[in-house]
Amino acid sequence: MNENQAKVQPNQEPERRPISPLNRQENEQSKRVVKKDKKKAFGSGIIWYIFLIPAFLGILLFMVYPIFESLRLSFYQSNGTMETFIGLDNFKTILTSGPFWNSVWNTFYIGIFQILITIPLGFIFASLINSTPRGQNFFKVIYFLPNVTSIVAAAMIFAFVLHPEMGIVNYILETIGLPTPGWLSNPSTSKWAVILLSVWHWIGFVIIICLANLQAISPEMYEAARIDGAGRVQQWLFITIPNMTATFAFLLITGWIGALQRFNEVYVLGGPSGSPARSIQTMGAFIYERGFTGFEFGMASAATYVMFIIILIFTFLNIKISNMKL
Amino acid sequence: MFSTKSFLGIVLFLLMTVTLIGCNNESSSENTGVDESSEVPETEVDNSQDWNGQTVKVQLIGDFSMEDSTDPITGETTPGLKDVKEEFERQHPGATVEFILMPWEGYTEKTQAMLTSSEADVYQMPGIADFAAQGLLEPLQPYMDKDEEFSTDIFIDQQVDGWKALGPESSDLEIFGLPFFGDARFITYDKKLFDDWGVEYLSEHPTMEEIGDKAAKMTGTNPVTGEQNYGIWFRGDWSSAFTLVNAAEGLGGKWGTGFAWDEVEFEFNSPEMVKSLNWLLEMQELAPEGIVSNQGQEKWMTKDNNIAIMLNTGPGELVEQVQAQGLEDRIAIAQEFKNEDGAGGLFAGSPITMAKDSENKDLAWEWLKYATSEYAQQYFYTTGAFPSVKSALEWESVKEHEDLLGPVFEAMSTPYNSPRYHWAAAQPRFILTSEIEAALTDQRNAQEALDKAQKESTEWLENR
Repeated sequence: MNENQAKVQPNQEPERRPISPLNRQENEQSKRVVKKDKKKAFGSGIIWYIFLIPAFLGILLFMVYPIFESLRLSFYQSNGTMETFIGLDNFKTILTSGPFWNSVWNTFYIGIFQILITIPLGFIFASLINSTPRGQNFFKVIYFLPNVTSIVAAAMIFAFVLHPEMGIVNYILETIGLPTPGWLSNPSTSKWAVILLSVWHWIGFVIIICLANLQAISPEMYEAARIDGAGRVQQWLFITIPNMTATFAFLLITGWIGALQRFNEVYVLGGPSGSPARSIQTMGAFIYERGFTGFEFGMASAATYVMFIIILIFTFLNIKISNMKL
Repeated sequence: MFSTKSFLGIVLFLLMTVTLIGCNNESSSENTGVDESSEVPETEVDNSQDWNGQTVKVQLIGDFSMEDSTDPITGETTPGLKDVKEEFERQHPGATVEFILMPWEGYTEKTQAMLTSSEADVYQMPGIADFAAQGLLEPLQPYMDKDEEFSTDIFIDQQVDGWKALGPESSDLEIFGLPFFGDARFITYDKKLFDDWGVEYLSEHPTMEEIGDKAAKMTGTNPVTGEQNYGIWFRGDWSSAFTLVNAAEGLGGKWGTGFAWDEVEFEFNSPEMVKSLNWLLEMQELAPEGIVSNQGQEKWMTKDNNIAIMLNTGPGELVEQVQAQGLEDRIAIAQEFKNEDGAGGLFAGSPITMAKDSENKDLAWEWLKYATSEYAQQYFYTTGAFPSVKSALEWESVKEHEDLLGPVFEAMSTPYNSPRYHWAAAQPRFILTSEIEAALTDQRNAQEALDKAQKESTEWLENR
């Protein structure tokens, strides 16, 4: 210890008061107050834990427990009541199953095109709506309407819209002299029928999210750009788009997760086996088919975990690619 | 608060509602669902046991409701389940019936969950083979043996045998369920289109050649109406496996052999199956576009119908639709393809079963008997379900439509049953269906598609 330190240290010590009966009483009183305060704080705090318990129990019961139960099931051959431990056989069967990889392909194909079409198109529509001097709310409502429609009902209507002989889409195509595809009755076009439906359904959400970001961009930036002689397209390219990257990243990740979990619309349009010829069977539909129509719960659980890993990898890649901070 | 206009509008709306309700002259309370013209003997009260405090929980699948409802097709009142409940409770003093109703959507998994959690005593159970194999169902033979009142002779032929299944340890097929709702598959056709084209009606037991020839003659522009007509339609997706297997049965083929999974051998790529799929591919040329997506038949069972022959149809709402559309003189029925023994086509319907862990098994057995009694069968017939008892042929409501329902009952007693298509609720059905779709959409030829279906189904069997 050097000299300076020795000099400084005594000054830093708290002032020590001599212990007297009066001081002791004060000390005890203050301790009691602190204890009481702590008890009070804990007492009032515990109420919030009690409020949280029902939701927490719900999460434990309906989310955490099924996740672990599903993992356990994936190592068993199970029809719901009778179980036999078979180790990794279910995973082996899934990973070598042609229909499973076909369902992965279908899921990715539909998902990629849905995202590639919807995000740019939604952004363009949002930019157009944002530029309109009047009636913005009207357009927002109109474009958002598909998103609040039940996808099940929408899928049923789309089956009529895309009817090969009586559908309005083929009627229009025929009127303008274009070939009329079989849509849902042909494996080469059925995926595009699902893509059309999912773009129609998701685009309202994309527009609303883009609009929120567009309206948050400072008008001063546009003003400065105009003073510098930037045109409308240049402003859009060099101010609007760079300011939208966080929104695009958000839409990309949420879109991907939704696309990889796709089930409802393909189930309505093609049943659990994704008719015709498994052309629109997604991973979710594959799991449903094996689990709930064939009583192969172990197999379905294994497929669920493979799907979980695929979603995890692609979400991680998406975060890396889009530089999104968690 | 309200302007005068709004107030007047509300008053007018209320007035119209009251007037419309008042105009309805049907009295739902009088409709018990039972054909009053036929004589249903009033069953005596069963005092053989003390039913006091006992409850039987009954699961039912379909559009049932406790209260009266309106049939969406005919507009007539359908009596609610309260009537059958009251009658059962009258016959079994002190007992209570509780219904658990569920839609057809996802019934398999819901039934599995209910059985696992001992939710009901009695189940309507089309997938009986899967549940019996899990040891979840009570064998009924002991109850039948000790109950002198009961006889399986009341059921339409083939129905009791058709629902037999294997328990977890049984080597022979056993009775785990009684036939509750009947079902059948048959060929339906529109006589008007046959008349327009000058084609003779289908024979009672048509062959593939007969159907193909007649369908070909009726495809094109109708000579009378000038509308586009199609000779034939069949579902190319969901039920195509059954249509194909039935066609093969007509040629002497079969889906395979065995009932227990370890004894099953599929014959999906037999010469008869390949020939049948090639025939379906030919028939597709005579059908509207969209058979693999269940499209193209939208006008069927309407006055604007444009399809002459419909393969693999069922009796659900048949009479109601025919009546509602005024098609009594147009719609006729022929049998599906039969083999040399006179059997062919999907065996379908719903048996009624007792849960192994039911706490009131005697009362559950009483319900099983009651559900298959003439009273209950007549009630369920009014709700759109098809009866499983022979005596139904004598009901006035059935006799009235004998032309239509006679062949349906015949089809019910001649399905392919040795053994039935118990794989219809398992992966092989989806494998075969997907491959039929692949052939129908030119992905593969018939031989390749069925070879693939055979290979995948056999692999599935080996991996189970």
